[in-house]
Amino acid sequence: MREFAARFIRSPEGVAGLVLTTCLLAMALSAPYLFPRDPLSIVGRPLLAPFADPAFPLGTDRLGRDVLAGLMHGARTSLLVGISAAVVAILAGAIVGTLAGFSSGWFDEALMRVVDAFQIVPGFLLALAFVSVMGASLPLIVLAIALGAWTGPARLARAEVLSIRERDYVAAAWVIGMHPLEIAFKEVLPNALPPVLALVSVIVAGAVLTEAALSFLGLGDPNIVTWGSMIAEGRNVLRTAPFLSIVPGLGLVAMVLGVYLLGEGLVEALARRRIRQ
Amino acid sequence: MHRALKLVRRRALSSIPVLLIVVTGTFFLLESATGDAVDAYLVSLGGGDAELARNLRETYGLDQSAWSRLWLYVSALARFDLGWSVAFNRPILDVILERLPNTLLLMGSATALAFLLGSLLGIVAGARPGSGVDRLLSVGSLALYAVPSFWLGLVLILLFAVQLRWFPTAGIESIASGKSGFDRAVDIARHLVLPVCALGFIYLALFLRMMRAGMAEIWRQDFVLAARAKGLARRRIVLRHIARNALLPLVTMLGLQAAAMLGGSVVIESVFAIPGFGRLAQEAVAARDAPLLMGIIVMSAILVILVNLLIDLAYAALDPRVGQGERRT
Amino acid sequence: MFRFSLSRRALLYPVALTIGLAILPLSPAAQEAPEGGRLVVAADSEPRDLNPAVVASNGVFFISSKVIEPLAEASYEGEDGLEPRLATSWEGSEDGLSFTVNLREGVTWHDGEPFTSADVAFSALEVWKPLQNLGRIVFSSLEDVETPDEHTAIFRFSEPTPPQMIMKAMPAVTAVLPRHIYEGKDIATNPTNTQLVGTGPFKFAEYRPGEYYRLVKNENYWSEGEPQLDEIIFRVLPDRSAAASALEAGEIHLAAFSQVPLVDLERIGQVPGLEVITEGYEALTYQLVVEINHRNEALADRRVRRAIAHAIDKDFVVDTIFLGYAAAATGPVPKNAPEFYNPDVPVYDFDVEKANALLDEAGYPRGDDGTRFSLRLLPAPFFAETRQFGDYLRQALAEVGIRVELINNDTPAHIKAVYTDHDFDITVSPPVFRDDPAISTTILVRSGIPNGVPFSNQGGYENPELDALIDEAATTVDTAERVALYNEFQRLVVEELPLINVAEWSFTSVASEKVLNVGNNPRWVVSNWADTALEP
Repeated sequence: MREFAARFIRSPEGVAGLVLTTCLLAMALSAPYLFPRDPLSIVGRPLLAPFADPAFPLGTDRLGRDVLAGLMHGARTSLLVGISAAVVAILAGAIVGTLAGFSSGWFDEALMRVVDAFQIVPGFLLALAFVSVMGASLPLIVLAIALGAWTGPARLARAEVLSIRERDYVAAAWVIGMHPLEIAFKEVLPNALPPVLALVSVIVAGAVLTEAALSFLGLGDPNIVTWGSMIAEGRNVLRTAPFLSIVPGLGLVAMVLGVYLLGEGLVEALARRRIRQ
Repeated sequence: MHRALKLVRRRALSSIPVLLIVVTGTFFLLESATGDAVDAYLVSLGGGDAELARNLRETYGLDQSAWSRLWLYVSALARFDLGWSVAFNRPILDVILERLPNTLLLMGSATALAFLLGSLLGIVAGARPGSGVDRLLSVGSLALYAVPSFWLGLVLILLFAVQLRWFPTAGIESIASGKSGFDRAVDIARHLVLPVCALGFIYLALFLRMMRAGMAEIWRQDFVLAARAKGLARRRIVLRHIARNALLPLVTMLGLQAAAMLGGSVVIESVFAIPGFGRLAQEAVAARDAPLLMGIIVMSAILVILVNLLIDLAYAALDPRVGQGERRT
Repeated sequence: MFRFSLSRRALLYPVALTIGLAILPLSPAAQEAPEGGRLVVAADSEPRDLNPAVVASNGVFFISSKVIEPLAEASYEGEDGLEPRLATSWEGSEDGLSFTVNLREGVTWHDGEPFTSADVAFSALEVWKPLQNLGRIVFSSLEDVETPDEHTAIFRFSEPTPPQMIMKAMPAVTAVLPRHIYEGKDIATNPTNTQLVGTGPFKFAEYRPGEYYRLVKNENYWSEGEPQLDEIIFRVLPDRSAAASALEAGEIHLAAFSQVPLVDLERIGQVPGLEVITEGYEALTYQLVVEINHRNEALADRRVRRAIAHAIDKDFVVDTIFLGYAAAATGPVPKNAPEFYNPDVPVYDFDVEKANALLDEAGYPRGDDGTRFSLRLLPAPFFAETRQFGDYLRQALAEVGIRVELINNDTPAHIKAVYTDHDFDITVSPPVFRDDPAISTTILVRSGIPNGVPFSNQGGYENPELDALIDEAATTVDTAERVALYNEFQRLVVEELPLINVAEWSFTSVASEKVLNVGNNPRWVVSNWADTALEP
């Protein structure tokens, strides 16, 4: 473990990602304590510029809501959306991939056709249709994003399972008469998971961006602040008050970068270990 | 060539169940929506009474059960009939074919930009892994990757269309300009510059990073070490041996990204007012025009299948070992 | 009228105004205006059908009004607030059972056929009455249209129909269709609905979906010397910021219907060559209304509705959400309709304490978390301001202990949820005031309207007294009596609060200074633009 940390430290990208994500995580976790009020509440004069009023260091928006409070709470929801979407996508993908890879035959074929179907439909189009139809609440948005993201993990998990299921310990499990499902999920899946997990950072980053794009098209959850909804609000005043979309925009860039770099650093560190082995 | 034909036929056959799944899924997704095409139409009328609504539902067959409508749709689809759009009051095929060229142009150009520039910069970065140029390019491309495309689009418009007036703010070509031939092509190209950049830059970043990563891998392989030992010029090694080998996975990536790019064009088309597929899809959802949305999704699915088929054919031509399109991912 | 009724443009650009006055239709100085040119205008939506006789909506009128004309248009100076178009004069009978219209002579359709009273009779009987959303109400008791000669049409009614209402409705409801094209065919699906044929100053030339509509000059227009323009292009720009960018880049000349967001107006008004124009919308007043589902037990209590009214700071709404481009509403008829407006109604000041007291009194004490009860709020998806007001209302009601869950639906889902399924507690909606309370206002509170009628009382409100008042006014012919009934109607609605009127607003145009005669009648954006001109 220590060795791994040492290898990780040597990658400057990974460290930068770690620093960024830690900062954002700290923001997200401290938001309810630093800004206990609903970040959507109207607290001041509308369209105050940043640094003009010490009470609102980042200014206020079109209705007089505190931008800093929005930014902090927005970090929370944006991270939440990203991580939940990734968890749902990876979980669904791993299960389907394991089932497909493990069962083979017509069941495998059928499952993979479903995967194909999801893969050839543009993910954003699907999310757009899903949210417009089902309603724009946070859990549904997460689900919509995951719908377009689970096929990658599914394919990867299946490929891993195909190679794992021929191994000795799996054969042993068959011999002692374990239930096939038990073998699939207790013996095979845990070993197939690590490479699939490498996709987490990409999915989180993509989910954060997708949520922003959905909000941009007016399909965000109106009861919650997200950076996407802040940008969408701000783009209407892009010319007169550019800070309103630049501030959450920078947050978004920082988050996507942080998550991506962190993921890359981890994968690289893992890869180096493998090479050494 | 016989093998290529076989591949095409096999792909076409295996696409049918996939398309069926897509159609059924889309149909029931829209079926579960609150409000139907008639509700949407009544709003555009500014209101209407219950009788009018009933008559309209009858006219468009919306009073029939979901299954029978799905069956009607699928059996018509088998005869390549995409049906009638309630929202546009025109045959769906016409509506779609009208928009397809714009989207193909936008996607094609964005892909070309992303692929060419991405792999080129990737080669520059990968030529000297760990160098300053490499780090700059890889962080820069990541930053580009992290910027939401719609945001990039808005900023590009403000900067290059409103302030500098180098390019038009929106649209696919000058309105009713009467231009034709070469003039028209130039006009369209001018309109495409900004949206193509906004859409392509994200994928540019992706291709750049893949290229770089691929090259980094190959640097360590034996034949490169051998080439270096032979004292071949670095430039030659980079171009002849490394870049060439690292390019192949990028081609695969191209196929995988085709669907994503179609999705990404939804937002870009909306920002730049380009009458393409993405915007049509948005309109179809807003109008609850299920057959139209299914038409769009089926068409984009076919598009993605075709792109992948082309890539497989290219692969098969390049590398005889790749048998009957077994590029399983 | 709105607070800035004093024309900003008139003060700043006296030259433009003089030119504007000089080319009023009958003025001999008409030749001075520049002729020709292509006017490019932003359009934010693409209506499926463009037939204004079937679909009376501003989105359709915006384009179709240049091609298909009504009997009369709204006017700042004209008698009864009208200016003749296809009709030259009109008169209602004392008993309200007939309405005579004299038609203009020498008018031809774009395909060369002559325009006659038969076209009017056909349009009224086959289209306005049975098919059009507003005509169904205005002409509900129309029995027949007699055509004693080619240029006279006499409308016969089975029930007394107030001539005042017909006159108010003429600009929006009476677009005349060519009988020879529509007769004997299904009107709603006629292909001509997207390839309009009319009598107007411009002919429909081309529609490229997602790109533009093109109209060209009608050389045989009945008004000598008009139109001034050679071409009008409606360029489709769906994105909210696109119109402002295109204006600044000089790609379009005009963006109407507040396509340039309000917050951008101050800045864009200072861009050289562009001006912000608020005139030309006076007869297109929209009302910001909180519609209430009276099936909700709490909301059925008048004290609770009054508490909600007290919790809303109308000044905040006007100043912050509408940035001053609106006025606070006092009741269901806007101040913009002075002949009907009644200022003498109960007033609900912004008073959080009073709101709290009323809610306590109604038996809804605050719980441990400060919440009294929860409501689902569905803001209509039609204007940016509607949703912003929804955001504001959520916060305003939180102040008095009402927790609000916002539900943003897209258009069909919203219409279904509110007007068919009644699956809401409160909704914010922006109905249009159609110049006469009988056309689209009373329907918002009248009981007995079947499910599924959008923009009507679907909140389950029933008040026999109010219903009786509405019915009596609908058939009262005498103008003074009629107005008195609508005054009482307003008082009663504000007292009982079946819905809460918050603000009334209209739109703004941003135009290049080169465009002349912008906003010279109360429905300018949806009028025929025959005198609109473009400086080279």
